[in-house]
Amino acid sequence: MGMLHNLADLIKIKKDKMTILVLGLNNSGKSSIINHFKKSSEQTSIVVPTVGFMVEQFYSMSGVSIKAIDMSGATRYRNLWEHQFKNCHGIIYVIDSSDRMRFVVVKDELDLVLKHPDLSNRIVPILFYGNKSDVEDSLSCVKIAAALRLENIKEKPWHICSSNAISGEGLGEGVQWLIQQMRFAMLSNKDASKAKAKISK
Amino acid sequence: MVGAPNWLHVETEDDSPQITTLSSCITLSDVQRDGYVRLLAADISLDETSQEPSATLKVFRGLKLKQEQTLPGIPAAIASLYIDESEPKTPVIAVAIAESVLFYRNLKPYFKYTIPALDSEELEQEVWRKLPVVKTESYPALLDSLKDIEHAKLSRKSQRLLQLSEEEREGFIATHKDSPVGRVGNIVAMCCLKRISSDSNPPSHLVLATDTGLVLILEPQGFNLVYEGRTCSHETAVPSMISVQGTFEADFCIVVATRNGGVYLLRKSHSEGQEVFKLGSPLTGLLLLPIDQTIIASSMDNRYVCYSKRGKLLYQVALPAPPVCILPLPLTHLGLTLVAIALKGGMVKFYLQRYQVDEFALEETVDAMLYGRMGMEDHVLTLVTQSGQIVVKILRRVSRFEPRPEDLGNRRPGGDQNAIADASILDKPKKSSIFVEQAAREKKQAKATYGSFQVELWRVRHTAARATIDAINSSESTISGDLTHAPVKLSAEVCGSGPAFRLYLTVQNLSTFKMASNLVVLLHADRRHYAIQQTLARLPSVLPGVPLRVDFEVVAVLDSMDKLPPATLNPDNSQIRVMLMKAGQAKPLIAAVVAMPQSEAAY
Repeated sequence: MGMLHNLADLIKIKKDKMTILVLGLNNSGKSSIINHFKKSSEQTSIVVPTVGFMVEQFYSMSGVSIKAIDMSGATRYRNLWEHQFKNCHGIIYVIDSSDRMRFVVVKDELDLVLKHPDLSNRIVPILFYGNKSDVEDSLSCVKIAAALRLENIKEKPWHICSSNAISGEGLGEGVQWLIQQMRFAMLSNKDASKAKAKISK
Repeated sequence: MVGAPNWLHVETEDDSPQITTLSSCITLSDVQRDGYVRLLAADISLDETSQEPSATLKVFRGLKLKQEQTLPGIPAAIASLYIDESEPKTPVIAVAIAESVLFYRNLKPYFKYTIPALDSEELEQEVWRKLPVVKTESYPALLDSLKDIEHAKLSRKSQRLLQLSEEEREGFIATHKDSPVGRVGNIVAMCCLKRISSDSNPPSHLVLATDTGLVLILEPQGFNLVYEGRTCSHETAVPSMISVQGTFEADFCIVVATRNGGVYLLRKSHSEGQEVFKLGSPLTGLLLLPIDQTIIASSMDNRYVCYSKRGKLLYQVALPAPPVCILPLPLTHLGLTLVAIALKGGMVKFYLQRYQVDEFALEETVDAMLYGRMGMEDHVLTLVTQSGQIVVKILRRVSRFEPRPEDLGNRRPGGDQNAIADASILDKPKKSSIFVEQAAREKKQAKATYGSFQVELWRVRHTAARATIDAINSSESTISGDLTHAPVKLSAEVCGSGPAFRLYLTVQNLSTFKMASNLVVLLHADRRHYAIQQTLARLPSVLPGVPLRVDFEVVAVLDSMDKLPPATLNPDNSQIRVMLMKAGQAKPLIAAVVAMPQSEAAY
C-alpha cells in the first residue's frame, strides 16, 4: 500500500507545476539564463533589463512543467523578491562571477534572502550559477563559494556551478540538480504533513 | 549604529593600486559607453623629490587599473560631463590645468580651452616695449618702476623677471620679448552645471573659478563663455572652492569660498558675489545642498556649520578632529541628502542636518571621497586614504538613516529655551517701503481718506440691510420651506375692533414624526402705528398634529387729541410682520404679513 501511495505522489508531482524563483543582482544574467531554457522559437536575441518581474513557463527535459519567476535585480526592485518567497519551490541565484567588487552585495542580499521568515523554516533548494564564466577575469565557482561563505548554509540543499548564459554551458546540469532536489523536498514536506496528520488523529 | 553596518566593505586584493589625489580630482564616468561606470582619478606624484611633480589620469574598472594617460601638468580639478544630446552619449573628461581646460573624448585629447587674459597695466606694457631696445644698464630703473605695480597684478613673465638675477635677465628678455603681456588667472576650482534639468545625463556647462577672482561658465560645445562673474569687488578674494546648484537655463546659484574664509553667493541674475558669511579659520569644504538650499562648510577650527543663503547661521556641530573633506550623499531612494565628513585620523561621520546618523573608522586619514554610481551599483562611496589606498564601501539596500532619539531628545530642552527667549521678543515686522509711503500719504490726504472710508462703511451697511430684506422676503409664505426641519404652518387671525386688538397665531407642525422645537415668534410693526407689549415669544416644542395657539396684544396708536389714527397710516402699511424663526438660524422659517383692520376710535 505504502509503495503505491509513493508512486501516486510521484505522479501527482509530475502533474504539479514547480515554481522557481530566479534571483541575483542586476546585470548578472538572470533573464539570459531563462531565455536559454525557452523553446528556440520563443527565444529573444536582445535581453533588456527586467522591470519588476517576468513569469516564464517551460518544460524541462524530464517533462516537468516549470514556472520561472524572473525577478528584476535592480536595487529599487529588490524589495519585490520577498513577496514571491512563500510560493516558490526552488531558487536559482545568479552571480556575475566577473564582478568582484559586488560580491559583498551578493553576499548581503543572499543573507537577507536566507533570513527571511518565509524561507528560513522550509526546505528550499538553492542553485547558484557563477555566470559569465567566459569573461577573462571571472572567478571559478570554488572561489565564489568561498567568497560568499556558502559552506555556512546548513539547513538548505545548495549547489553551485559555473555557467555561460550566452552559449548555454553548464545550465542544464544545474537545473537537473534543482528539479531532483525540489522533488525530494516536496516528498519530505508531504511526509511531514502526513505524519502530523496522523499524530493529530 | 547598532547591528549590521550600513556600509558593505569591498574586499581588495593585496596588489590593489595606490593613488595620491584630492576630492576634486576624482570622478565617475561611463567612458567606454558600456553602462559600466568607471572610476577616473588624477594621480599626482609628489613624493619623489628628484622628479618634477607630475600627474597621470588613471581609469579603473572596479578596482583594477585599466588605462592611464600622462597629463601635461598638475590638475586643479577633473570632471566628466556630456556636451550634447546626440546619441550615443559620449562623456567628455575635462581636466583643469593652470589656465586651461583640457577636454578628452574616448580618452584622447580633443580640445584645449584657455581662459582669456586680463588686460595688464599700461606701465607694464610700456616697460616691455622698452626692455628689448634699451641697454642693460637701464634695466634696474625700469624694473624698479615695475615694482610700483602690485605684485599680484603683474603678468607672469614680469613676476619671473623680477625674481631673476642680473645676469639671467638679458637672456630672459630676449626669449620673451614677443610674447603678449597679459595676466592669466589659474583655474582653482571647476564643477559642472546642468544646462537643463533632465534625469539621464543632461548636457552640462563647466563652472570655472580662477585665482584672479573670476567665476566663468564655459559652454563646451562652441567653447564660449556664457557667464562672467566676480567673487567680490576687491581683488584679494581668491576663490578656493565652489559649489553649484540649479540649471543653467532656469536658475542657478554658485557659492564660492575664498582662501581667507569668506563665502560668497553668485546668482544667475547677480554676477557679482554677495558675502554670505565669513569664518575666522580656513574652510576645508563647502557645499550647497540641493533640497534645503543651505550652505554647509567645514572649517579648520573643528566645526561644521550650516548657513542659509541670507547668511543666517542655522546650526553648527562641533567635530572631534579637524575635518579634511566633506561630500554630499544624495540618497534619492530615501529622499535624503547626507553629508559625509572625513576627519583627521580616519573617522568618517555622516550627518543628516545636524544629527549624526552613521560613522565608521578607517586606519588612516581620508584625503578624498567620491559617491555615486560605480560599476553596476548605485550607491558606492569611494575613499582614498593618505597613503593612497582606495577603499570602496557600498550602501546596503536596507539601510535607513534616522537621527538617534537621544540626540533629538537632548536637543529639545535647548530648543524650548530658545523658543521662550524668542517669544519674549515681539516679532516686529520691518518698516517696509510700502508702509512708509502709505503713512506719508495718509498724513497728506487725511480728509479724502476719511471720506472714502465713510463711503465704504455706508456701502457695507447698505449691503447688509439689503441682504436682511432679501432673507425676510424669500421666506414669505405660510408654510416653512426648509426641508431640513419639520415643516411648520402658520396662520393668524385678528380679533377686536380697536384700538386694542388681539392677534392669534396658530402654529401647526405638518410633519408626521419630527418635532419642531426652539421656535421663536417675532412681531414687527411700525412703531408710529401699532404698539405691541410683547414682540417676541419663545414657543414650546410643537408636536406633530397638535396646533399651538399663541396670542399677542396689539394696540393701534391714535392721536390723543382727535382720536384718529396718524395721517401716515393707510391701508397699504397697516400691517404687522410675523416672523417664525428657529433659534440659532439667521434666516426666518416663515415671514408672514398680517393686514390689520381699520381701528375704531376709542371712547
